[in-house]
Amino acid sequence: MTFRFIHSSDLHLGKRFGQFPGDLPAKLREARHAAIGKLAEHARSHGASTVLLAGDTFDTETPAPDVRRQALAEMSHHAPIRWVILPGNHDSLQAAQLWATLHAEAPENVTLAVDPEPIELASGVVLLPAPCTFRRPGKDLSEWFDNAPTPDGAIRIGLAHGGVLNFSEEDGGLDVIAPDRARRAGLAYLALGDWHGGLEIDPRTRYSGTPEPDRFKHDREGEALLVAVPAPSAMPEVSSVRTGTFSWRDMALDLLDGDDAVTRLDALLPEPRARRQSLLNIVASGRARLEGRSALAAWIDELRPDFAHLELHDDALETECDAGDLDAIDRAGALREAADALLAESEDAQLSQAERDIARAALARLYAQAQVIAP
Amino acid sequence: MKIEALRLFNVKRFAGRGVAIEGIDDGVNVLCAPNEFGKSTSFEALHALFFQAHTGTPQAVQALRPYAGGSPQVEVDISNGDGRYRLSKQFYAGRSARVTDIGSGRLIAQADEAEAFIAELVRGGHSGPAGLLWVRQGLTGIEKRSKSEEDSEKQIRASLLESVQGEIEAVTGGRRMTEIMANIEETLGGLVTATGRPKTGERYAAALETRSRLEAEEQRLGAEVVSLRQALDQRAAANRRLSELDNAKEREERRRAIETAQAKFEAARSQAESLRTAKAELRLVSEQRETADNALTSFRTALDRAATLTRSRDEASRAHEEAMARRNSAAAAVATARAESDAAETAQQEARTLLERLDRAMRARETAERLTELQDKLATAEDLRRQTEEADAALKLLALPEDAIPRLEKIDLEIVQLRALAQAARPSVEVAYEPQAPGVALDGHPLEDGVPRTYRGMAKLHILGVGTIALNSGATDAGDDRLERLVEHRRSLLDKLGVEDLTAARRRQQDHSRKQGELRELNARFSMIAPEGLQALRQDIAARQQAVSADDPEPEQDPAQLRAAFDDAEQRRQNARSALREAEPAQTLAADAVISAQASLAGIRAELAQAEAIIGPEALRAEHERQLHEKRAQLDAALLAHRQTVERLEGEATDLQAAEATLARLRSVADSASAETARLREQIAALSAEIRSRSDEAVEEKWRETTEALEAAAQRVAAYEREIAILQRLRGALEAARTNARETYLRPVITELRPLLGLLFDDVAITFDDKTLLPQTILRDGQEEDVDRLSGGMREQLSILTRLAFARLLARDGHPAPVILDDALVYSDDDRIERMFDALHRQARDQQIIVFSCRQRAFQQLGGNVLHMTDWAPQS
Repeated sequence: MTFRFIHSSDLHLGKRFGQFPGDLPAKLREARHAAIGKLAEHARSHGASTVLLAGDTFDTETPAPDVRRQALAEMSHHAPIRWVILPGNHDSLQAAQLWATLHAEAPENVTLAVDPEPIELASGVVLLPAPCTFRRPGKDLSEWFDNAPTPDGAIRIGLAHGGVLNFSEEDGGLDVIAPDRARRAGLAYLALGDWHGGLEIDPRTRYSGTPEPDRFKHDREGEALLVAVPAPSAMPEVSSVRTGTFSWRDMALDLLDGDDAVTRLDALLPEPRARRQSLLNIVASGRARLEGRSALAAWIDELRPDFAHLELHDDALETECDAGDLDAIDRAGALREAADALLAESEDAQLSQAERDIARAALARLYAQAQVIAP
Repeated sequence: MKIEALRLFNVKRFAGRGVAIEGIDDGVNVLCAPNEFGKSTSFEALHALFFQAHTGTPQAVQALRPYAGGSPQVEVDISNGDGRYRLSKQFYAGRSARVTDIGSGRLIAQADEAEAFIAELVRGGHSGPAGLLWVRQGLTGIEKRSKSEEDSEKQIRASLLESVQGEIEAVTGGRRMTEIMANIEETLGGLVTATGRPKTGERYAAALETRSRLEAEEQRLGAEVVSLRQALDQRAAANRRLSELDNAKEREERRRAIETAQAKFEAARSQAESLRTAKAELRLVSEQRETADNALTSFRTALDRAATLTRSRDEASRAHEEAMARRNSAAAAVATARAESDAAETAQQEARTLLERLDRAMRARETAERLTELQDKLATAEDLRRQTEEADAALKLLALPEDAIPRLEKIDLEIVQLRALAQAARPSVEVAYEPQAPGVALDGHPLEDGVPRTYRGMAKLHILGVGTIALNSGATDAGDDRLERLVEHRRSLLDKLGVEDLTAARRRQQDHSRKQGELRELNARFSMIAPEGLQALRQDIAARQQAVSADDPEPEQDPAQLRAAFDDAEQRRQNARSALREAEPAQTLAADAVISAQASLAGIRAELAQAEAIIGPEALRAEHERQLHEKRAQLDAALLAHRQTVERLEGEATDLQAAEATLARLRSVADSASAETARLREQIAALSAEIRSRSDEAVEEKWRETTEALEAAAQRVAAYEREIAILQRLRGALEAARTNARETYLRPVITELRPLLGLLFDDVAITFDDKTLLPQTILRDGQEEDVDRLSGGMREQLSILTRLAFARLLARDGHPAPVILDDALVYSDDDRIERMFDALHRQARDQQIIVFSCRQRAFQQLGGNVLHMTDWAPQS
């Protein structure tokens, strides 16, 4: 009989996103909570009985009581779906208070995988958890899987949190999980958490990624894995399900001299309705004219209200400038004099890069001003 | 640069046709034509050629296009220091720009290159104020402006300040510069103060404030998180420890360990007790054995000692007897020596008596011989005494007074002297005889030839054969008395002495001396024989006569024999003495030896008595020793037995201290375990309270939130700092450019403007502020006026003059540029216009001025080169 479950991790419930102004942090925080419901929804619709959360369910060792309680309430609401919560590095067993409280408050359909002991998920299906004992355990906690006794013919599923090799969301150390743990321990599937972007290590070993992105690093939508294990030795069937509310992207805008930056940008942007849930960093590079640059900045300003977050990073964008651009400031006179001086300064190899950048930016500003105040 | 000709085709109203204005010359050129004749079209076409790119179609270009459309075409001939060129541009279809050399007809540049050539011309090497040199109907520049703006030109130009300022600020960026500056200042002012400090209450200051607030918050929360984590770790450690301690199995193990240790300790204690008893007994037996051993040892020692002492006593007795014998023989030797000494003494005494008697007899014989010798001496001395007395008497007879001889000698000398004196006073006679003359005698004595002779009183000179001649001197002899008295005195003196004369006196004195010597010799001999006088000699004799008178024996024996006998006796006595002196110390030593031998003997005897007291009577001694020996052997056996017992016990005994320490340790382990358990429970309770409260506050979430917010705030501050730097840099660049423009143009322009003003306004004086270069005051007829109250005419005149001044400046810099005026003087009255013409002509000496005007009549007065428009069509 095929065993189906949802593999997810890194919910980071309670994360506050202090870097953003306004009510965006609250929305992002709420979206993380909403991920629980989405996971349950997918489980139900795909006939999965269990949701495995491979660590970092909570962002901190001491989540606010409302975060904790509301999460448990949501999980309880989705009974009989069974939730298995594994301590990760953010919510390791060192946070004894958290786990003690969870233990006291957890509803029946929530299992806390706090001991390195086999847990029977269903008849013939055994879960081998490797809970994080410390923030930095300093050893491979999944080692015990190899010799863990399970009934003959049982499907062995591993659940662990941390980096494989030097491949970790945070600085990797000694506590790396052996990448071939699944083979060594005879696992049908090893569900890993920690890396926020979904990743396949081998057909039996995967990171699910976070169901709700929380950073620009990965350029992936929020997702979870739907896993079906037909038999102990059979290859698992794995498919990705969409769970994310907000999309976080770094968008490269590489410009050539003569490109229309605004048009190029528009081609990259998501459709207007999706923008509300998009956090975008436009990373401009290449070369642009004063006019193009000015227009790009103005266009970003114009577009900003469409988005949850929109930022232009144009440090890497070189400014092209010719006599025509300068004529657009003024053909002659003191304004032109100032523009010439700034242009010369921005190309003066004697000056530091910072000073040249300032001069170039000042020139761009002068250009923009000169356009506003018509001759 | 100078414009020589202007041609245009298909421009504005000249649709499909063209006009040309040729022969434009140096100095003032005037094109006078009525309105709508095409002046302004020409002006605009000229302007477009210089300032509009042939490729573009901005409004200025669109304005050139006739309603019918087509491509406007403009052509200008110019000349400058380099040569003469034809510039031509065509806009819209067939657009082109070309520059050809008029002399050679060679194409110099086209398209963008031609544009660059033209731009270079109008820029005139400076950052082009060329626009300034174009003046049209009441406007002051060719700046593009909106229609409404152009309508409100009067308002805009309402003040002189703006009139002149406006012209000049075209150089300094003008209105746009001012606005841009204002915008920058406003933006910057919203961030920082004039001194560059964050402006309170504004965005930048708020961002800084937010950042520092978040920093503090982040630190506070970070510290809380750290302390929370520490609390968690501590509690986990405490819990671990507690579960170890509280384990029932471990507790039971601890209890059992204590019981075992207790039992071990008790056993060790009883063992230690028996060992102590056995050791005490061993000590007792050991002491008894020691006593027995001592008794035996001292008995044996005393026995040995008694034997030794007996031998010593016998030796001492023998020594004593020997000493006695030596003493007795020494006493006998001394007695013998003393007897010999006494006998030798007596013999020596007798010999000495005999010797003394012989000595006395010898002395008496000697005294008698001495007395005889003295009596002889006395007789001689008495004889000498008598001879002395006789010599003394004889001497007295010969004695002369002491001064007699000197007195006599003195008197004799005087007499001689007196006689010589008398001789000299007398007359003298001297005869010098002739040969064979008879001799002459004086008073009987012949006179010798040549020898004078004296005479006294009277003399008789007898010359043989002549007679006697009486000579009478006539003088008495006066000194003769004294001489006679002296002679007499000498006589009496000699008589008294009893001598004949001085010679006799001297002889007598010599005799006296001789006799004196004889007397001294006699006295000396007497002194030698009887140095102490006769009396002493006589007494000595008398004394000796008495001594001799006693009866002295005569020597009986031979003195040599007597003396030898005495010496022998003396030798004998001394030998006897030495023998005695040798014998006497030997006697003393012998006596001392006897005493010491006696003492030694007594000591030995006492010691022997002591030893015998210990060992008892001789018969019982062997039995006594055997008993003592047996007792000691018994005790040795007992000692060995006891020692074995002790050793056995010691071997069996366990370490009491170790057992006790183990017990104490186990007890303290148990105690401290329970104490620690209690303490841990308390600690866990305290930590739990702390953790619970902090967990409920979600401090870590807050901390992470704050960290992220801080990062965002720092970025924001950095963005503001960059913004400020950019704005400040831009403002700096603009200010520098404006200042530079002012320095380069405005001041020189004002300088150029002053004489022109004087030319035009003899009744008005305008002063400029040196710093702002703006008109400051206007003095008219000595009255200061508001600068705003200038008439429209005056304003446009000022406008033109400013441009002329500018043109002069350019010309002076080596870049002459034409000044082009399109109906620039609309408000000026005729009088003023003429003055203006004067000014223009004055300027035109080194300047090309092109005037377009519709005021034909008024401009007749201007003079200059009159221009005409002719029909023109481009070639080809």
